[in-house]
Amino acid sequence: MEDQEVKLVVRENYARVAKQNGSCCSSACCGTSKPKEISKRIGYTDEDLEAVPSGSNLGLGCGNPTALASIKAGETVLDLGSGAGFDCFLASNKVGPEGRVIGVDMTVEMVARARDNASKGGYKNVEFRQGEIENLPVEDSTIDVIISNCVINLVPNKDKAFKEAFRVLKPGGRLMVSDIVLLKKLPDFVKDSIEAYVGCIAGAATKDRYLGAIKSAGFGDVTVIDETVFPLDCMTNDPTGQAILKSLKGTPEQLKMVQNSISSVKVGAIKPNSKP
Amino acid sequence: MKRDLLDILACPLCKGDLTIEIFEENDLEIITGKLFCKVCNECYPIEDGIPNMLPPDLRD
Repeated sequence: MEDQEVKLVVRENYARVAKQNGSCCSSACCGTSKPKEISKRIGYTDEDLEAVPSGSNLGLGCGNPTALASIKAGETVLDLGSGAGFDCFLASNKVGPEGRVIGVDMTVEMVARARDNASKGGYKNVEFRQGEIENLPVEDSTIDVIISNCVINLVPNKDKAFKEAFRVLKPGGRLMVSDIVLLKKLPDFVKDSIEAYVGCIAGAATKDRYLGAIKSAGFGDVTVIDETVFPLDCMTNDPTGQAILKSLKGTPEQLKMVQNSISSVKVGAIKPNSKP
Repeated sequence: MKRDLLDILACPLCKGDLTIEIFEENDLEIITGKLFCKVCNECYPIEDGIPNMLPPDLRD
């Protein structure tokens, strides 16, 4: 699949999710469970979930509460793939009136929904814009913290995405991302499936490749803060997950292998103060 | 889009500064307008308060 084609399909799919009212994505990321249940399972607290406008948590992420915990008052935060704004609003409460939060998403329907949520919740220090992670519309060295929650797996050119993240961070700035990575390479029949791509799997890089891309962008102190096996019940217990697996047309053994190859990681990294 | 966002907005292609032309705004923000990059000779529209900063080949 061409990069451009992938981007258009991903955008189309998430536009559809944005239009659904508070229901979950049709992807393997979370299947059809309720957003709140998924979010609690991946580590958000009841307090987090109640602190944001309803409709801003679509239950799409693989979890970024650790990143949020590190945010300090007055900081400028950039959320890559901000969706309906859930993590941005939690970050907004952390940075306070002196700080600001910018959400970038390539899907206009998501940005529109996030803006509605911001005005519903009275968030004055949060801004959303339509943009692409591989070509960030942000000036060099202006951001203190970059957060991103289960999004970079969807980006075809991950090297470029991390280079852009590095560019916009201030020296000493932090990258705090959570994402889906692969422990083994996927068989071709999965890689070629657009359903699996949109469902966050086929676009995922191997863990080594993912961490390598962060390091080669120039980041230091690249640390895997947490790692969990991708919740298999997301794929096997709900109809959407089953449909995706079915569409892959693999043997049961092959599919089991696919499931055992997927992991969810939280990674932290720092842009060094002087160029390496 | 709030006015003070402009100081950290950059052209997604060349990362250069942008100039703004405002068609409609209220007390809080710019509703309609366009951002222009002199270097790339490229316009980025602001519609319904949302700046569309996608590279031209990814726009609808």
